[in-house]
Amino acid sequence: MRALWLGLRAIIIKDIVVELRARQVLPTMVVLGMLIVFILRMASEPGSTAAGGTVMGVAALWIAFLFSGLLAQERSFAAEQQNGCMDGLLLAPLDAGTIYLAKLLANVIMLTIFEAIVVPIAILSFNLHVTGGWLRLAAVLLLGNLGISSVGTLFSAAVQLTRTRGSLLSIIVLVILMPMMIPATFALLVLFGTMPVETESLASLRGSGTLAFVGSFKAAIGYMLAFDAIFVVACWLLFGVVVEE
Amino acid sequence: MAQDIPTSMALHVHGVSKTFVTRPVLRGIDLAVPKGQAVCLCGINGAGKSTLLRIAAGLLRPDGGTVIVNGFDIRKHVEAAKRQIGVISHASMVYPELTVFENLAFAARLYGVAGRAARIEELLAGTALTSFRHDRAGILSRGLLQRLAIARALLHEPVVLLADEAFTGLDADVSERLVAIFDQFVRGGGTILMTTHDTRMGLRCCHRVVILDHGVLVLDAMKDKIDADRFADDYVSYARSMS
Repeated sequence: MRALWLGLRAIIIKDIVVELRARQVLPTMVVLGMLIVFILRMASEPGSTAAGGTVMGVAALWIAFLFSGLLAQERSFAAEQQNGCMDGLLLAPLDAGTIYLAKLLANVIMLTIFEAIVVPIAILSFNLHVTGGWLRLAAVLLLGNLGISSVGTLFSAAVQLTRTRGSLLSIIVLVILMPMMIPATFALLVLFGTMPVETESLASLRGSGTLAFVGSFKAAIGYMLAFDAIFVVACWLLFGVVVEE
Repeated sequence: MAQDIPTSMALHVHGVSKTFVTRPVLRGIDLAVPKGQAVCLCGINGAGKSTLLRIAAGLLRPDGGTVIVNGFDIRKHVEAAKRQIGVISHASMVYPELTVFENLAFAARLYGVAGRAARIEELLAGTALTSFRHDRAGILSRGLLQRLAIARALLHEPVVLLADEAFTGLDADVSERLVAIFDQFVRGGGTILMTTHDTRMGLRCCHRVVILDHGVLVLDAMKDKIDADRFADDYVSYARSMS
């Protein structure tokens, strides 16, 4: 347990120090995120209603988290490939799962910093009102962050090590993340006041399409928690197989 | 947990085979290296040298066979076996954004090295890197990087050192320093399995030479039983004929 903790801490601190010095990932993430927010803001301007603006704002946030997250995760393993550093990690007396957890937590931290920058910008741009409470908003963002990072971390390692690079990762990860994106979108729509907290009646879901099955804010959180738990454990178990040639 | 292998053997490779897609790279390799012995593994490009080293280091899963490092099976007792191994390759395995000291401190944390600062200072002195301790690895020359890679490999006091083309790209001065470090490691009871294309340099460091050809060990001889100069010349002719 002590070895796990020491290994985790060492890799996370190393990743943060490397990023603070290289400044490669976070600035790129922020630029991409702001571009997504501003383009969708411009697209939503003509004849937009308050509800339409909120829907577009929620879409902008998740699209920004998804693509910027994938960018960060790919870079995190690309840096390990430089100078054979991944071999250096794999040679250490650590379980491969520990390396996965460390990279996952480093990616979660990176995406959290990104969210702390982009969420206020999106709130201002789309004139969003957090009617559901800031703590709930933070919880939903964290759950979404964990889901995106859990799958992205595993696949970015696979892509870097199999040298297929980029394209395949984005497609597979986006498909796998879809089941989480539905309750995640629902939860943010509730928190920004576009949907009622409890939507058991189908009548209240008129026009909400795919989101109808989620049912309530509580259920959305439940789905996200389940997704995160399943994929964190599955990816942790699979990481050793993926990184071994 | 100790295996049923003589305790004098630091590295025991038994029946190791590996095939990449349809191409067999290693065909049932057997190699036992006692403690305190340095072995030079020679072979032309594609002979399977690096594959054998990667399997011995636990980086690659063999299709068949076992590797026991100081009594620990590399597949069954992974963490214990990895603590016995230090690896030097042409890739330095260091982060360019971290300083020399930080790179060593990071590796020391991964291995849980006790008395971290003192051990790092000792290695910095041993590899003549003390004056570069605050320099970022990204600005170091190839020779300095290789010294840092050696310090990283020796940090946790391994029993077996696996060196893959460790002399590649080094000038004569740095190569001499590397020979001295290897010599000191072996005199301290360490075991080395190294690959090199520079057979003269390899023979200087090693007690024993083995040649790998198309995944099979075709020669295994003690250095004192062969004429080193003649061997080096013959090996060059052999390598030319094969390439």
